[in-house]
Amino acid sequence: MPDGSFSHPQQRQFNPYTENGGTILAIAGKDFSVIAGDTRQSEGYSIQTRYAPKVFRLTDRAVLAVNGFAADGNMFVKKVQQRLEWYRHAHAKDMPLGAIARLIQTMLYGRRFFPYYVYNILGGIEEDGTGAVYSFDPVGSYEREACRAAGAAQSLVQPFLDNQIYFKNQQAPAGQSHPLHLPLSDVLAIVIDSFTSATERHIEVGDGLEIYVVLTKGRPTQDLEGYRGVKELTTRPDGDRVFLIQRELKKD
Amino acid sequence: MFLTRSEYDRGVNTFSPEGRLFQVEYAIEAIKLGSTTIGISTKEGVVLAVEKRVQSPLLEASSIEKIMEIDRHLGCAMSGLIADARTMIDHARVTSQNHAFTYDERIKVESVTQAVCDLALRFGESVHDEDAMMSRPFGVALLIAGVDEKGPQLFHTDPSGTFVRYEAKAVGSGSEAAQSELQDKWHKQMTLKEAHILTLRVLKQVMEEKLDQHNVQLAQVTPDKGFEILDEVRLKALIDDM
Amino acid sequence: MSIMQHNGGSVIAMVGKDCVAIASDLRLGVQSLSISSNFEKIFPVTERLYVGFPGLATDVTTLREVFRYRVNMYTIKEERAIEPTIFTQLVSSTLYERRFGPYFIEPVIAGLQKTPSGSYEPFIAATDLIGCINFAKDFVVAGTASEKLFGVAEGLWEPGLEPEDLFETISQTLMNAVDRDAFSGWGAIVHVITKDKVITRKLKGRMD
Repeated sequence: MPDGSFSHPQQRQFNPYTENGGTILAIAGKDFSVIAGDTRQSEGYSIQTRYAPKVFRLTDRAVLAVNGFAADGNMFVKKVQQRLEWYRHAHAKDMPLGAIARLIQTMLYGRRFFPYYVYNILGGIEEDGTGAVYSFDPVGSYEREACRAAGAAQSLVQPFLDNQIYFKNQQAPAGQSHPLHLPLSDVLAIVIDSFTSATERHIEVGDGLEIYVVLTKGRPTQDLEGYRGVKELTTRPDGDRVFLIQRELKKD
Repeated sequence: MFLTRSEYDRGVNTFSPEGRLFQVEYAIEAIKLGSTTIGISTKEGVVLAVEKRVQSPLLEASSIEKIMEIDRHLGCAMSGLIADARTMIDHARVTSQNHAFTYDERIKVESVTQAVCDLALRFGESVHDEDAMMSRPFGVALLIAGVDEKGPQLFHTDPSGTFVRYEAKAVGSGSEAAQSELQDKWHKQMTLKEAHILTLRVLKQVMEEKLDQHNVQLAQVTPDKGFEILDEVRLKALIDDM
Repeated sequence: MSIMQHNGGSVIAMVGKDCVAIASDLRLGVQSLSISSNFEKIFPVTERLYVGFPGLATDVTTLREVFRYRVNMYTIKEERAIEPTIFTQLVSSTLYERRFGPYFIEPVIAGLQKTPSGSYEPFIAATDLIGCINFAKDFVVAGTASEKLFGVAEGLWEPGLEPEDLFETISQTLMNAVDRDAFSGWGAIVHVITKDKVITRKLKGRMD
């Protein structure tokens, strides 16, 4: 009270979490994996920045996308990278994708009662050379899938992927079956369409798009060469390779 | 060496002026009194063999356990103070399970060996606020056999915490003769069966008693079946084939 | 949970080349309990005009009767069929009458509008529960699966679709959207309105 008395009860609260918008998405192919995210970071109706990456290269065969509370997401990625470095020192190799997935589960569940407020999607190449996507909830429940969307526009993008990747509600031509995996060019087209659609209808999505493409060792790259602004991020020769495609999205 | 005994051989964590840790060296000596233990690595898998010293006819031979499983893909044979090995194998098992829990993959043979060796030098006085440490070095040498993404491998550890990879290695009382025999007979193309026979032959040469299925123990780690201790039936068949 | 989600259900309308389509799911539920798989929410207004009422089921029935009455009165007084644009204004004003105690319905309107030259042009519109009109050139959505419908429609729809292609597009959009919505689904119905006829098809869908 203005008079400094405590005669009236007062309540104060500190909320340690916020939602920073944005959307992430990953699709696995037979011998590649695509992991993408927009770069807008917002709080409420305000845009904090038009370029805040949500997708990170972890190794030459693993890429992690984090979405939700940006502070938690960035710290979580740092901690994962630290654990990968320790693993490299202890075991003289890069951590395999499946091992990273399990590690992320144990790290998330370790914070079961004060969780990292983030949805994670891990994409990359498995030990057997196949493309893989792992998706997580904030406390570490995880699953390997062919595709997954998460974040602000998950409900816009996921049913579209169900239709375009899993061919849900589509009948295969007589005597034929739907392909288990799509070619890279189709997947990239679907990813770009998903984000332009989400940008169109969701205020928290837009500004920029970063698409990471992980190719299994020895895979030809000609279907990537058509895309403008492709950057290779691979660190070691003769292994799986990581590429980054950057695109603009609408800024309104 | 024992003629130059000095006060430096008492403290477990005191270097002598010549730069030696006598207690560790004595521990290594203790292993040379242990029963002979042999390991052979081949492309098809790794073989471990130990001599059981059955000192009395009243002793139940099957209760002597000198080869133990660390994980499905890891085995271990020992020579020296067997009781000390239990601490180490316990640690190896926990390390291996923790690795599988955290990373959903099998730990590498070298990594589990490193983990065991990290224990080896935790003796001496405990520092303030630290858990009490061990009072003396381990008196046991281990042959750690396993299969991982790099294939079948065999590692030797000693009380100093040093570990080295071998294609074939013998430790224990008969190790000198056994090692030179292994050096003679081991070759790259060796099959698992040949390795079995070779371990038995070498053991037979260095053992005082007559070798039979009761006084030796044989185990193998293969990519398909992992770690297994051969039962007396299979052991007898191999001995008959020798 | 909001009263708008109480019974579940979704409606979508799309524009095609000289045609429009309107479609809905067939579920009626009470929160998470499904009651019926043949609860239609779309009703004909004229031969070339349909309206869909996603929202509270009791208001679906009420509004259907309210608009039947008001459209009939219009037809009798004016001696002509009501046009989509006029009907949309009627919907808007009817809902706004209940500004502070609204019907819990977000109507979707699809039809062919007669032009002065005598031809027909596609018309779709949607309003919120108090009658604020959204005239869209491509598609409109409403109901518990509206976010999902927006996402899929934005990805699948393109201008100038012929009736059969429009049917496929609206069907795929609806089915894939309601499959990700717990409150919509249990089959669907689609009407494609052309100047000569209305094609009505029922779709089988997941029953979970």
